[in-house]
Amino acid sequence: MIRIENISKRYRYNGHESAMILSDINLTIPEGQFVCLLGPSGCGKTTLLNLVAGFIKPSQGRILFNDARVTGPGPERGVVFQDATLFPWLTVRQNVEFGLRQRGLNNNNRTKIATEYLHLVGMALHANAYPHTLSGGMRQRIAIARVLALEPQALLMDEPFSSLDINSREHLQDELLRVWDAHRRTLLYVTHSVEEAVYLADRVIIMGPAPKSICGDMILPLKRPRKHFSDEFRSVIASLRLSLDALPCCIKPSEKKSGRI
Amino acid sequence: MGRSILKNLIPVLIFILLWQVIALMVTAVKGVPFPTPWQTGVKFGSLLGGQFLSDHTLYRHILDSLTRWFIGFSIAAIAGIGYGLAAGWSRLFEDATYKILHILQLIPGLAWIPVAILIFGIGETATIFMIAMTAFTPVAINVLSGVKRLDTTFVRAALMMGAGRKALFLQVLLPGSLPAILSGLRIGLGNGWRVLVAAEMIVGTGTGLGYSIIQARWTLDYTSAFACLGVICAIGLVFEQFIFNPLEQRTIARWALDRDA
Ligand SMILES: Nc1ncnc2c1ncn2[C@@H]1O[C@H](COP(=O)(O)OP(=O)(O)O)[C@@H](O)[C@H]1O
Ligand SMILES: [Mg+2]
Repeated sequence: MIRIENISKRYRYNGHESAMILSDINLTIPEGQFVCLLGPSGCGKTTLLNLVAGFIKPSQGRILFNDARVTGPGPERGVVFQDATLFPWLTVRQNVEFGLRQRGLNNNNRTKIATEYLHLVGMALHANAYPHTLSGGMRQRIAIARVLALEPQALLMDEPFSSLDINSREHLQDELLRVWDAHRRTLLYVTHSVEEAVYLADRVIIMGPAPKSICGDMILPLKRPRKHFSDEFRSVIASLRLSLDALPCCIKPSEKKSGRI
Repeated sequence: MGRSILKNLIPVLIFILLWQVIALMVTAVKGVPFPTPWQTGVKFGSLLGGQFLSDHTLYRHILDSLTRWFIGFSIAAIAGIGYGLAAGWSRLFEDATYKILHILQLIPGLAWIPVAILIFGIGETATIFMIAMTAFTPVAINVLSGVKRLDTTFVRAALMMGAGRKALFLQVLLPGSLPAILSGLRIGLGNGWRVLVAAEMIVGTGTGLGYSIIQARWTLDYTSAFACLGVICAIGLVFEQFIFNPLEQRTIARWALDRDA
């Protein structure tokens, strides 16, 4: 379970403070829920995800993960980034083994587990390749395998498929759902696409610019597996679109109210 | 195949032709014998045959120069890589020392002569000191900037997968900055080589290619001096072609780091 309590965030650089990016957010994400953070670009989705991941610290408030305060990143919260960020100096298998190595597993076990997860994402044949020889979609699959191998209690994904072509994106969405369905781990998924959110999530949280960071929070009334063109699917999309249209489409840093002149 | 040999041969032929023209012109206009490529080649042959040059064989001079170079460069490489990694790791250390590095970089290699002689006196150690000083800065600066350029998402990914400080250093920082380390070493090696030859001319080491060149000048044996110059160029080329190019092929090209950057 992830509890976000009274979180506010301003960035700080060379003694300056940025405008308020996130303002007084309170959210509880129960175990096993698939939650999409949906919002226009620049509203702070990545910032919120990075806070939960422990990459950055909140200016105010706290984040609890299974009742323990988040103070930094850790393997119980696996992160899939927008670009795969695989280590280019390691082979595909070694990339997946990286986390296992940190846990002190011996060579045989590492190889066995890594191969298993590469199988799960359909990449076992490429175990000995270097990342740069693979397509973006393949790399993202490996990034998912590498995080699953950590056996995390929650997955955090920041627009993981947004740079892929539609075909591989829809493929990977289906695979993600299959993988998620097998363990039902808590999944926090950032996207700016309404379709994607409606296709994937149990619950959609609509984010907007600070000071009103959370603009909506709804449990989707859709059964799984979902069909892209069913009537109910399209009506949920339409209603979410309405809420999103009320928000500015893109928030530029210069347009935000600033704490200092 | 035949074409590529021809392509490599053409610059050599042009060079020899130019040399021949200049040699003939200088000899004709100034009335001093300027060694031609042919004369130099013949001299080189007899030096290879064991003819003495400033009381030693050519082999002894080459060996002594290479030894000094190797020792000085090794010191610089270890210190430079160590410094770069440490300063890239600790912001505090970097801030405290970076200005010094910048000043060192501005000092031309030969300017170390008085310092070297004051500290170590005339001879071997002074030469090695000069090589180490001139090779150190490019290695240090390159490694430092390589570590700093390393994508923060790599570090985040590693921490997220449970990497501790030691693993972060050995498994991410070190391999991730390997391309920068290599290019620093390459520049450092070249700088060291150049200052070695100059230092041998001045510091008075009794052996070495630089020493032989300056000795040959006193005895008006310009042909030998030219033969030594040729050896110096050849050694530089051999290191480029047979050590650094393959090393870079092995690492940078394989990871396609340049393409990702
Ligand atoms: N490291 C940073 N320093 C200063 N400002 C930042 C930093 N990262 C993000 N921001 C700003 O915070 C706002 C929200 O960014 P982000 O969380 O990436 O939004 P989103 O992911 O929703 O597009 C943007 O205006 C961005 O300019
Ligand atoms: Mg973002």
